Amino acid sequence: MWKLLNLLPGRRQRMERELERELRYHIDRRVDDLVRSGVSETDARRQVAIEFGGALQVREDVQDAWVWRWLSNGQRDLQYAGRLLRRNPTFAATALLSIALGIAASTAVFSLIDQVLFRRLPVREPEALVYFNWKGSTMQSGYGYDYLSSYPLCRELQEQRHVFDGVICRYPNTVSFSSGQQPQQVRAEVVSGSYFNVLGIQPRLGRLIDGSDDVSPGGHPVVVIGETYWRNNLAGDPTVIGRRVLVSGYPMTVIGIAPAGFIGMDPLQAASLWMPATMAVQAGNVDAYWNQLMNRRAAWLHVFGRLKPGVTLEAAKAGLEPWFRSMLANEPSTEGFPKVTSDQLQRFFSSTFDLQFVPTGLSSGRRQFQRPLWVIMAGSVILLLLASLNVAGLLLARGAARSREFTTRMGIGASRGRIAGQLLVESALIALAGSVLGVMAAPAVSRVILFFLPQTGDVAVRIDVKILTFAFMASSITALVCGLAPALQTRRTPLVASLTDRSRVAAAGGVRLRKMLVAGQLAFTLVLLIGSGLFVQTLARLQGNLGFDSDRLVTVSVDPASNGYAEPDGERVMRQVLQRLQAIPGVERAAVANSSMLTGGMASSMVTIESDRRFTADRAAARMRVGPGFFPTIGAQVIAGRDFDERDVRPAGEKPRAYQSVIVSESFMRRYFKDQNPIGAHIGMGNRPDTKTTIEIIGVVKDFSRRTLRDEQVETIFLQYFDSQSADGTFYVRIRGNAESAFSAIRSAVAQVDPQVPVTLGVFDDQIERSLRTERMLASLSSAFGTLALLLAVIGLYGVMAFVVTQRTQEIGLRMALGASRSAAVWLILRDAAAMIAGGTLIALPAAWALRRFVESELFGVSVLHAPTIAVAAAVLALAGFSAALRPAWRAATVNPTDALRM
Amino acid sequence: MGTARFPIPQGTLDMLILKVLSLEPAHGYGIAQRVQQISREAVQLNQGSLYPALHRLEQKRWLKSEWRESETGREAKFYSLTRAGARQLAVEKETWDRLTTAVQLIFNEGQ
Repeated sequence: MWKLLNLLPGRRQRMERELERELRYHIDRRVDDLVRSGVSETDARRQVAIEFGGALQVREDVQDAWVWRWLSNGQRDLQYAGRLLRRNPTFAATALLSIALGIAASTAVFSLIDQVLFRRLPVREPEALVYFNWKGSTMQSGYGYDYLSSYPLCRELQEQRHVFDGVICRYPNTVSFSSGQQPQQVRAEVVSGSYFNVLGIQPRLGRLIDGSDDVSPGGHPVVVIGETYWRNNLAGDPTVIGRRVLVSGYPMTVIGIAPAGFIGMDPLQAASLWMPATMAVQAGNVDAYWNQLMNRRAAWLHVFGRLKPGVTLEAAKAGLEPWFRSMLANEPSTEGFPKVTSDQLQRFFSSTFDLQFVPTGLSSGRRQFQRPLWVIMAGSVILLLLASLNVAGLLLARGAARSREFTTRMGIGASRGRIAGQLLVESALIALAGSVLGVMAAPAVSRVILFFLPQTGDVAVRIDVKILTFAFMASSITALVCGLAPALQTRRTPLVASLTDRSRVAAAGGVRLRKMLVAGQLAFTLVLLIGSGLFVQTLARLQGNLGFDSDRLVTVSVDPASNGYAEPDGERVMRQVLQRLQAIPGVERAAVANSSMLTGGMASSMVTIESDRRFTADRAAARMRVGPGFFPTIGAQVIAGRDFDERDVRPAGEKPRAYQSVIVSESFMRRYFKDQNPIGAHIGMGNRPDTKTTIEIIGVVKDFSRRTLRDEQVETIFLQYFDSQSADGTFYVRIRGNAESAFSAIRSAVAQVDPQVPVTLGVFDDQIERSLRTERMLASLSSAFGTLALLLAVIGLYGVMAFVVTQRTQEIGLRMALGASRSAAVWLILRDAAAMIAGGTLIALPAAWALRRFVESELFGVSVLHAPTIAVAAAVLALAGFSAALRPAWRAATVNPTDALRM
Repeated sequence: MGTARFPIPQGTLDMLILKVLSLEPAHGYGIAQRVQQISREAVQLNQGSLYPALHRLEQKRWLKSEWRESETGREAKFYSLTRAGARQLAVEKETWDRLTTAVQLIFNEGQ
């Protein structure tokens, strides 16, 4: 490698000058000697020139020794390879396209994975950011992911200045935002006053939220708007600063615009709005229970600290320990701490905390987002390898055809290394050109993938240095895989044999290698086919897992609060809307529930059960609030007891009350009541010794999917919608006739109550489609991959079989002349195909088993070793393989012995 | 690698150069003279192929070179053997001995 140093321009000039001097010295001395022996100077010079054999040639040869030969050979190889590719457009196209496909898919997926997993937050020194995580029994109530802290706790951590260069807390939520026009749902972050300062963010315009906005609860009605939202929705208008806007119906003032590229702490869920934590209640984001700002038991914020320079994670933990211990000791005497047993108190005291670095931010969607990506990554890498093998096979085939060219060249002095080098240059050219195509196609491919992902957030397709490096490495490996087999092949060719034997013997080794390559391709194909079979099954099973009838089911979400209704008035709106909906002629049934189904989330609670004995549920039960007629509306079956009816509804105007009745799911009954009848038993919300069990079980409903279609019968309790405050929710409506006319009737029904209340209409089947997007993507992508793979493998198999037949024509002719039947000839060829298919299958099965970890989490209702799927996939492969071998076999059968022997 | 236009196989030329330089450092012209002297004019060295060989051996770090005043008073590039070059000479000599012995044996067979 150090030879490459000789390429440096200065060094090279010096070397050339010295060579000139060196040669000049030689020539002069020789001329002197000759002159001294009596030759005339002219003759002497002529003689020296002859002896020297061409001064120019000598110089070139010396420069070769430096490095030039090495490189200029490469250039010549490149030109030669380019010419060969141009002369074989079909070969070139097949090879280029297969590589481009593999590179495009893997680069696209890699760029997405990179963004989801590895991209650092665009803030000052993201590597110093740590996330505070209180672990164990914290005696707090919260809703959300990861550990959440209370606002007072966040304030206390801000005082730990010996450890932190600032502490921030934030809560992500969605608010309705209106700046004069129709309100829009916008993702927002509720943040501490320290937030922008600690992250080192400078305003694009105006000012950002700071410590002065973090003083008195409810006293700082200010918002900061994200740059993208400002540009797209507010026309980039600078006069927006100082404007009054409505956030969740509450008037606030715009104070600034965040800089471009800053989207908050969650890279997958870009925030477009920031409000001070002191305005959390007014922003109306969290449930009434949690939005008491100073409540130490209300956990709703993520807390991050910036470590002081030089403070290690360990030192920081040790430094926080004294504060943490004294906080724990004081906590039970603070307001709102629950009455607990000494056992529970003990558990509280033994809780611990942890700090972890979060340079890439904190994201709830990350895990869910990344899993399908890894599956696609595995698939596209397999596809890429397969494409490489395909190109390797094609190159081998051409290598065989060119073996005489090679042996001739070796015969006149080319080294094997030189020819192997040339083959590598050819495959590198193919790989490189294919990769360029692939990288160009990558953004389109990742847009397709993004379209199917559940939480696309704000991940865009970016091609940067890292991505290009990845593509380059992938294509280098591809080039090596493609070029290695043919290059190795030249090493084995016996020179003399191949020159004398008209290349037949020489190619024999090549055929064995090609058969191995084809077997490898078939193996990869089978893996992809099995995968696509599993995903198709998963999709089908999920579609059958609904548990109710989604046909003609429409959802109507109404949110009176965002039009400024206080709770009692909001509830009145909800009741009126329900009545109007039920009165529409085109509506079969309508009922209300507190949340939308199949959107991935659902609240859950610990419960205490009192039947003939009192006990607590051993795991949280999912919880949903539904009104009378909900089950018949969606088509879920009440299998024992009764549904809620008008008797259970709290009369309009009365205050919200404790839950009185509940319907449990079949799985809940099975888990906690076994064979007993649960009707008439009581439950209570919570698992404390003093939890009151006053809620009567009045019915049991058959299990159906609520959160996602993947629900494996989670125990669920359905509380009565109208028991608690009922100021928002989703109406489920079973319509008659088509959706369009029903939609306009529903809209006007809601408008009759209040034309200002925002309504969101949805067809439930669309909801199902959305929740199945990932599965649909995996099923369709893996099917596409499988089909492509099958095509490539079949082309490979056909190629090698056709070659074998040509090669063995004479042998087959001889056999036939000696009395072999045509079917024997066919079998001779098909046997080879069978061997390759069997070999591929034998490799594929353990490979599929080894890859199971990638796919298991994405499957539903089938295991990786699902025998029918594997059998079908193998059958498809065998069928395709044999049909590809059929034509060559037919050619073998129709060999004319006389012609063949005369060859 | 490359092609040798010279009847003496390439490896042999390398060996001869190494051998000559093992006696004392010399410049290209000196090496050519010395080879002919020692071989009593039996070996005609192609002067042209000498320099690529020298540079190749230098790139392989078997030779090192420096500009020094020659016997005529003019500056010339003098080559000398490195330690790796000395080792290589030993290897080549042994290979050569084995080859000539073998060839000798074959020719003696019929006698």
